[in-house]
Amino acid sequence: MHPATPPTTDAPVGRTHRTALPRRRLLRGLLAVTVAAPLMFGAAACGDDDGAADPNAPVKLSIFWWGGDARAKLTEDALALYTKKHPNVTFEKTWQANQGYFDKLATLTAGGNPPDLFQIDDNYLAEYAARNTTLDLTSYQKSGKLDTSKFPESLWQYGVVDGKLAGLAAGENTQGLVYNKTLLTKNNLPEPTTGMSWEQHIAWAEQVTAKTKVPGTQDPSADYKAFWVWLRQQGKDLYKGKELGFTAEDVTTWFDLWKGARDRKATPTADVIHEGNSSDITKQLVVTGKSATSWVWANQMPDLKKNTKDELGVVAYPGDPSAQWARASMYWSVFKGSKNKDVAVDVINFLNNDQEVVKLLGTDRGLPSNLDLRRVVSDDATDPAMKQSIAVEAELTQKFGTSPQVPIKGHSKVKSELIKAAENAQYGRATPAQAAAQFIEACKSAIA
Amino acid sequence: MALTTAPDPTRRGPGSVRAHAERRRPGRFRHSEGLAGYVFLSPWLIGLMGVTAVPMLLSLYLSFTNYDILTPFSEVEWVGLANYERMFTADPSYWHAVRVTLTFALIAVPLKLAAALGVALLLNRAWRGVGLFRGLFYLPSLLGGSVALAIVWVNMFNRDGAFNSLLSLFGIQGKPWVNDPDWALETLMVLAIWQFGAPMVIFLAGLKQVPTELYEAASVDGAGRFRQFRNVTLPMLSPVIFFNLVLETINGFQGFTAAFVLSNGTGGPVDSTLMYTLNLYITGFTDLNMGYASAMAWVFLLAIAVITAIFFSTGRFWVHYSDGEDR
Repeated sequence: MHPATPPTTDAPVGRTHRTALPRRRLLRGLLAVTVAAPLMFGAAACGDDDGAADPNAPVKLSIFWWGGDARAKLTEDALALYTKKHPNVTFEKTWQANQGYFDKLATLTAGGNPPDLFQIDDNYLAEYAARNTTLDLTSYQKSGKLDTSKFPESLWQYGVVDGKLAGLAAGENTQGLVYNKTLLTKNNLPEPTTGMSWEQHIAWAEQVTAKTKVPGTQDPSADYKAFWVWLRQQGKDLYKGKELGFTAEDVTTWFDLWKGARDRKATPTADVIHEGNSSDITKQLVVTGKSATSWVWANQMPDLKKNTKDELGVVAYPGDPSAQWARASMYWSVFKGSKNKDVAVDVINFLNNDQEVVKLLGTDRGLPSNLDLRRVVSDDATDPAMKQSIAVEAELTQKFGTSPQVPIKGHSKVKSELIKAAENAQYGRATPAQAAAQFIEACKSAIA
Repeated sequence: MALTTAPDPTRRGPGSVRAHAERRRPGRFRHSEGLAGYVFLSPWLIGLMGVTAVPMLLSLYLSFTNYDILTPFSEVEWVGLANYERMFTADPSYWHAVRVTLTFALIAVPLKLAAALGVALLLNRAWRGVGLFRGLFYLPSLLGGSVALAIVWVNMFNRDGAFNSLLSLFGIQGKPWVNDPDWALETLMVLAIWQFGAPMVIFLAGLKQVPTELYEAASVDGAGRFRQFRNVTLPMLSPVIFFNLVLETINGFQGFTAAFVLSNGTGGPVDSTLMYTLNLYITGFTDLNMGYASAMAWVFLLAIAVITAIFFSTGRFWVHYSDGEDR
C-alpha cells in the first residue's frame, strides 16, 4: 500500500532521491552501533586492571555458584564470616541449580560482566582457561597469599591448565561405586570390594541379578568417568596433550565388555540404563531400586543416602585403584578482568584454609582440600553417609595415582558423543565396533 | 490512509515541504503529527532496536565468525562461510536434527489441526455445559510450553508411569516410551497434539462466522451432513484453517521445551528428540560454538520464511474469502 501513495508518485525524481539518503544514513549508523557497542563493552570489561590501593576501601565482590539450598545456606554463612572479619567486603551472591549454570556463566562472560569469583568444574575449566577468562593464580600461590601447602600436591595440580593455575580445588572427590548394602545382606550376597577386576565385578553383578531379580550393576559404558578409569588401567588416558589418549580399538574393547555384561543380564535394559544416565542424583538407579550399584562420585554418598531407606556402601571402581586420582570436585576461579582480584583470591584462601569455615562447610563441595582440616572435619562428622565417603576417600588416598591433565577444550562434546555412541550400542542400533568408530570420528571434530 | 502517509513529509524534510506552498499548512500539520507519532513510538522503537534488530544483525555477523561466547567480540575471527559449509557438508548431527524436526512437524501439525477442528465441530453446538468443555479442552494449551507439563509427561510415559498402568489393565505390555529411541519423539508428538486448545478456539470462532443461511440453503438442496461439511463448512473456514496451519507449522518447527525437558537437555535417547532448536542450543551453550549456532539460526529463519511463503503461494488455490472481490 505504501509505495503507491500519491505524494510519492507525484514527487519529482530529485526528491525521491533525497528521501533515500537519511534512510541510508540510518542504516549506516545502525551498523556502526552494532559494531561499536561490543567493542565498547569489551573495552570496559578489560579496563581497570589495577587493584584498589586502599585495603579498607569498601569492596563488593560478586560470587556465583551452583548447588541446592543446603549448599547456599552453608556458603552464605561462610561468606558472612568473611565479612565479619573484613567489614569492608560485602558479597553479591548468586546461585542456582547445576542445570543451566554454565549457560548463564557463559552469557555473563560474553556480556563482559562475569562474577569476580565463580565455581567451575573440570568439564569447563580448560575451556575458560584457554580463553583467558580465568586469572592465573600461580603468583598468589608463590607469595603464599593462596596457601596450598596443606593440599595434596596432585589436587592443586589438577587445576593447572597450560602451566597456569586456573582454579583452586574447592574440595576433593573420586570415583565411587555405590551399592545397596541392605539388598545384598538380605540375600546373603558378598559386597563388592576395592580392587576386584572388571570381570569379577560383572560376574558378581550377574550373580546379584540371578538371586535378587534386581540388576547387579548399571552399565557405565556411556559414563566418561568409568571409561576414563578403565583407560588409565590400560596405560592410556582420556587426553594426551591436545589429542585423544585412546584409539577406536580401546573404545571397541570397552563397549564389548559391557555388551557381554548386558547379554549376561548383569545390567538393566537399555532404557533403564538411559534413565540412570540422564537423570540427577535423586534418580540414580541404586536409590530407585532399579539396580544394585551406581557409578557416581564418592562425595555424592550423603545425597544418595537422602533418597533411599536402604543402607548404602561405597568402594572404588573395579580394577587397580591407582587409576583413580584426587579429583577436584569443583574449583573456585577468579575472573581475569575483576577489579577486586586480590580480595577474591583472599576469599578463596579463606574458604579453604580457615578452620572455622572449613568445619562449617563440611564435605558439601567434596572433602576439604586442606589435609589438616580434613582430619578435623572427619573427626567431627556425625552423618554416617558422610563418614563413609570420607573413609573411602581416606583409604584410597594412599592408593591414588597421579592426576591426569584437566580435560581439554571440547570435553563436554566428547562426553555427550560418548553417551550417544554407547547408547547406540546399548539399544542394539550399532555393533560395539561401529559405535566406537562413530565416537572417534565425532571426537576428532569436537576437539579440533 | 492519512495516517499511513503522515510520516512521508518528515522523511522528505522541511525544505521539500516549503517548496510546495499550497501544501504548506497540511504539510506542517502532518509533520508535527508524525513527530508526535515517533515520540510515542520511541520506547517501542528503542526496544526493537536494542533487543531485536541490533542483536539480530550481530548474530548475522557472528555467524561468519568462530565466536565461542567466552572470547571478547574484539578478538573473534572472521571465518567467512566456513560455518555454513560445515553445516551443509560436514555435520551429520545437523542433518539428523533437521530430519527429526521435519518428522515432528509433518506428523504432529496436521494431527493437531485435525484434532482441533474435530473438537471445535463438536463444541460448536448449543448443548448444556458446552462452555465447561470448551474451557477444559483449552486448558492444556494454556499451560503451553511449560516445563511442569513436560515433567508430568515424562512421568506419565515412563516404563512404570500412569500410561503403562492403564495399558496393563487391558493386559497390554507397555513400553518405556520416553526412554525408547523408537518412541520418544512420538511421545513428544502426542504431547503437542494434546495441546490443541489454541487452534480449537480459533476454529470455534471461525465456525460461528459461517452464516446459517448457507446450511439451510444446502439442506434445502438435499445436502447431507457430510456434504454440508465439505461444501459449506470447509470453504467458509478455509481462511481460519490457513491461519492455524501457518501458525502451528511455525510453532511445530520451534518445538524446544518439551524435548529439552524430556531428554534432560541432551536430545536423547540416541538423539531421537534432537529438535533443530535444541541442537542449536546445545551447539551454542554446551559446546560453546556460538558462531556456528548463529549460522544455524539464520538458516532456520530462512527455512521458516520459505515454508511460510510456500503456504501463502498455495493458499491462493484453496483459501476462499467470502468478501474475495474486495481483495
